[in-house]
Amino acid sequence: MKTAARVFALLTILSLVLAACVAPVAAPAAPAEVAAPAEAAPAEAAPAEGAAAAVPAPAGKNGMPVVGLVMKSLANEFFKTMEEGAVAYQQGRGDFTLIPVGMNSETDIDTQISAVENFIVQDVDLICLAPADSVGLVAPAKKAIDAGITVVNFDVKLDDKALTEAGLQDLVFVGPDNEEGAYLAGVALAEALGEGGKVVIIEGNPGADNATMRKNGFVRAAEEFGLEVLESTTAHWETEEANTLMTNLITKYPDMQGVMAANDSMALGVVKAIEAAGLTGQIQVVGFDNIGAVQELIKEGKMLATIDQFGPMLATMCVETGFRMINGEDITGWSKTPVQLVTAETLK
Amino acid sequence: MSTQVTSAPERESSQARRTTYFLLREAGIGIALLLIIVFFSVFAPRFASLANLSNILTQISINTVIAVGMTFVILLGGIDLSVGAVLALCTVVAGLTMTSTAFPEPVAIGLAVLASLAVGSAAGLFNGFVAERWKIHSFIVTLGMLNIARGAALQISGSRTIFSFPAGFNQFGTQTILGVPVIFVIALTLVFLGRFVLVRTVFGRIIYAIGNNEEAVRLSGHTPSFYKIAAFTITGLCVGVAAIMYMLRLNIASPILGVGFELNAIAAVVIGGTSMSGGKGSMIGTFLGACIIGVLNNGLLLLGMGDFARQMVTGFIIIFAVIIDTYRVRLSVQMAD
Amino acid sequence: MAPILQLRGVTKRFPGVIALEEIDLDIEPGEVHILVGENGAGKSSLVKVLCGIYTRDEGEILYQGQPYNPQRTQDALHAGIRVVYQEFNLLPYLSVAENIFFEKLPTKHGLVDYKKLNQDAEAVLKEVGLDVAPTSRVELLGVAQTQLIEIAKAISTESKVLFLDEPTATLTPREISRLFDIIRRLRQRGVTIIYISHRLQETFEIGDRVTVLRNGRKVDTLPMADVTVADLVRMMVGKKMGEEYPFDTTVAPGAEIFRVNNLVIKHGGAPLGFGVRAGELLGIAGLVGSGRTETMRAIFGADKRIAGDLVLNGQPLRVESPRDAVQAGLSMLTEDRKQQGLILDMPCYVNISLTDLAAVSRSGVLNHAAEVTAAEGLVDELSIRTSSVDKWVRFLSGGNQQKVVLAKWLFRGPQVLIFDEPTRGIDVGAKYEIYMLLWALAKAGKAIIIVSSDLPELLGICHRILVFSNWAISGEVERPDFSQERILELAYQNYVQTEAAPA
Repeated sequence: MKTAARVFALLTILSLVLAACVAPVAAPAAPAEVAAPAEAAPAEAAPAEGAAAAVPAPAGKNGMPVVGLVMKSLANEFFKTMEEGAVAYQQGRGDFTLIPVGMNSETDIDTQISAVENFIVQDVDLICLAPADSVGLVAPAKKAIDAGITVVNFDVKLDDKALTEAGLQDLVFVGPDNEEGAYLAGVALAEALGEGGKVVIIEGNPGADNATMRKNGFVRAAEEFGLEVLESTTAHWETEEANTLMTNLITKYPDMQGVMAANDSMALGVVKAIEAAGLTGQIQVVGFDNIGAVQELIKEGKMLATIDQFGPMLATMCVETGFRMINGEDITGWSKTPVQLVTAETLK
Repeated sequence: MSTQVTSAPERESSQARRTTYFLLREAGIGIALLLIIVFFSVFAPRFASLANLSNILTQISINTVIAVGMTFVILLGGIDLSVGAVLALCTVVAGLTMTSTAFPEPVAIGLAVLASLAVGSAAGLFNGFVAERWKIHSFIVTLGMLNIARGAALQISGSRTIFSFPAGFNQFGTQTILGVPVIFVIALTLVFLGRFVLVRTVFGRIIYAIGNNEEAVRLSGHTPSFYKIAAFTITGLCVGVAAIMYMLRLNIASPILGVGFELNAIAAVVIGGTSMSGGKGSMIGTFLGACIIGVLNNGLLLLGMGDFARQMVTGFIIIFAVIIDTYRVRLSVQMAD
Repeated sequence: MAPILQLRGVTKRFPGVIALEEIDLDIEPGEVHILVGENGAGKSSLVKVLCGIYTRDEGEILYQGQPYNPQRTQDALHAGIRVVYQEFNLLPYLSVAENIFFEKLPTKHGLVDYKKLNQDAEAVLKEVGLDVAPTSRVELLGVAQTQLIEIAKAISTESKVLFLDEPTATLTPREISRLFDIIRRLRQRGVTIIYISHRLQETFEIGDRVTVLRNGRKVDTLPMADVTVADLVRMMVGKKMGEEYPFDTTVAPGAEIFRVNNLVIKHGGAPLGFGVRAGELLGIAGLVGSGRTETMRAIFGADKRIAGDLVLNGQPLRVESPRDAVQAGLSMLTEDRKQQGLILDMPCYVNISLTDLAAVSRSGVLNHAAEVTAAEGLVDELSIRTSSVDKWVRFLSGGNQQKVVLAKWLFRGPQVLIFDEPTRGIDVGAKYEIYMLLWALAKAGKAIIIVSSDLPELLGICHRILVFSNWAISGEVERPDFSQERILELAYQNYVQTEAAPA
């Protein structure tokens, strides 16, 4: 048992080391690292923003400004990319401190609420909030604003009704138009299939706001272009579930021509199901998020299109918007971030 | 002291008892599956077709393999909640190995398979060892492992989906043998292998015995800890196999897959008549349980039932299966009188 | 006086088995009526019919002259008929008082009136002579005290008929005599007691009349004064038995083969040691809680020991776990066969082969045929009554279950066999068979250690008796010097100076 206990101790140390690796990024080590602004923005900057010089950092309450970044699940590739974009941006500039906080799962609101509360206690200068629940995070946001912290909402918009009730109807939102993005994907599919094309919609988690908006965009495109929606059902954002669901849907609707998947993870499963059924090329698939694996499929012609909402830039843009506000600019409402259709053409 | 008066009827009744018991346990679940299949064949359009059958077989394969492993720990009265997360970790490790350019393709594939099996087994070994060494309920240990494995998978992969496996590997996943999908062949092989181990080997015998009465086994000169740790390791090994099957089926490896797989596997085992308190159950039952879940999932969709209704029906079936189980327990108690 | 309970032609059938056949029985009010019979004779079924767990198939029951047809246990309780079971039905985390009055807690404004509850409980506890606080939790009490609480519960509900099922199985002699005092007091109050026991000797101390059951039928009902133990045994078994305890003087023990030296199992405990010879039956006597079982478990490696060496055939023996012990040729039949000896929900053959699976397997794969053949051989040898070796052990009677435990160890072929309470809870006929088996083993040169609370049993079958007292061996008595008084004196010896004997 002694050796066994030693092995166990080793494993424990190992996991602690692992844990240390994922610890939040603190302030940069030396101010000397303040680099040229040009280097700061990631190379593949969003077209709308261009390579504009970075907004100057405002004076913080206690010296260097502190930014709290409340993210959704970092297990999700999309948010992970976004977080990495923000960290790279912060390291490039070095004139502010960034504290990113992720969640354990897509639905874990408590972590986010606690994160906001902790930021209030730490008296940060700016909170960038990507809410997991569009109603549930309104109250914490209100609390932060009352405590004199600038709050900018990004990624998913907080609920309008709840904001109005809290007197925050003018809260700034930085984010893509999910509905518009899905609509663009839907249009791409409609153009490929022509009027009367038979499609199914694979939805995200029931109740999630971006899932609802994407579904709405797909439905709007289908209505405008006369696509027939055979079925609209959820695969909970998951590859394996989407694969099983798609296999069964192919059996149910042998005449299916197109699929609109609310994210690329599900699109991957859908494409595999089509391949397994030997229908590659006969059923067109569009997705959302523009993850690496899907880019491959689009290049191979196994998938028609996906939507890029420039995830890496989203948090960065939110931070910049916040800085402008602290610097005195008068910004209100929704500053839309770009969404772009990605097809074999654009990937060339 | 034995008199003919008592022993003769007793013999008859024990025969009748065993028949009833067999019907309730093994055959009961098979008949239930058959009824469900007949129902869908009649009412669900396109259910009864070779292509659909082949789809169902593919769909149940991964859950079947995990459930085979889960059967071992549940027979011991334990549980493994970490299977889904460990599966994700296995795919990530195997995926990175397979896409590594350091090795020629066939070697990379071989190493990836070995890596998946090794990671799965190591996680299982850890679960079993910690549970036994410190006498912690496996529920807690594997809950911890769930988080460790998930975190490790995310850390190693940087939250990214891994893809672009060698074409040979990807194609193998869609192969069929005499019309049967290859991943189902793997699953079925594991079912029969598992059954062989449980029914025909000393190891399996002791697993059942520990599940029924660990202390009696210990006092009979065995070391239950060894068998319990081994059972968890087997579960991990099965998860390693399932991870490779997942990669064959979907051609991706991802740190976020497999959420809720543990619940599906537990459901298959329980529907298959294995008692959560251990000691009673069978591998064939587990397989039939996985079939029932898969057939329901497929048939209800073809029937036109919505997501939420499907989820509810599956829930009722699980509860129904456990109710049947309590009748079985009651029956055996009555028999004892 | 008219009988309080009258049974006429009561019959209860189960599929393929007749549990009770045409039972006619009159129970007089205020008598202690003894019910004896082998396991499976119908005693339990009779109790269950009378307290509403089973409904009879035929026949008539009159209770206080009125037809009595209990459908549920509540019906029986309302009528004033109550059973104190072998396995107690108390709620361990509640107080003594709450348990006693659980079915009818006194309330005040809808809340439990604890003041009244505890006062009432104190009165009832006094009546049964139990000196515990009404507020103490039941889980902290000993077996004897728990049983008295069951009886207190019966008194509190003013039961008219009380069934006591094996009440003395786990009690020490002192506790038994206290229980008998309480039974006598209840009898004076007019409570009718139906008393079920395997310990025939003690029933003579307390019983007024006795009814013997065999194979579901009543053999006879007689005044206790008119019968002897031998008569009862004959009626139960259905044939005359030679002697209650066999002792074969022709078997002389050989050389010492197993020895325990300087064994310490409790911190600060005195080291103890003893040896046992080939072909010897060594008895271990002592009060319950005197460390007998713990010593045996430590020798077998089932529990940790602080110090101690074992020697087998002159060689030092390393035993850290039961596995080591079994491989060295030791075996232990535990006190609690259901919890520790058997796998109830598995077939007989599985239980039998468990001690030596290597013998019935090759490279880890079982040879089913070999296993069944071996099990069948032992079932025949020990005349275990079962329809087949496939039958679950749960469905065998207590005596046959104990024989399965024995069979599983014989399958291993050990040199030293430790038996902890080998005949507890099993009927007279099976007991005798087990004694004969012990002797057969002795003749085959095995060393046998028997722990038993049944002193006449040890006196009847052993060559030598070691007496434990307060976690030490207080003496050793050879067969020529056997006397009950001497052994009891040794058993109490170590409690005299230090503390009182365990209650």
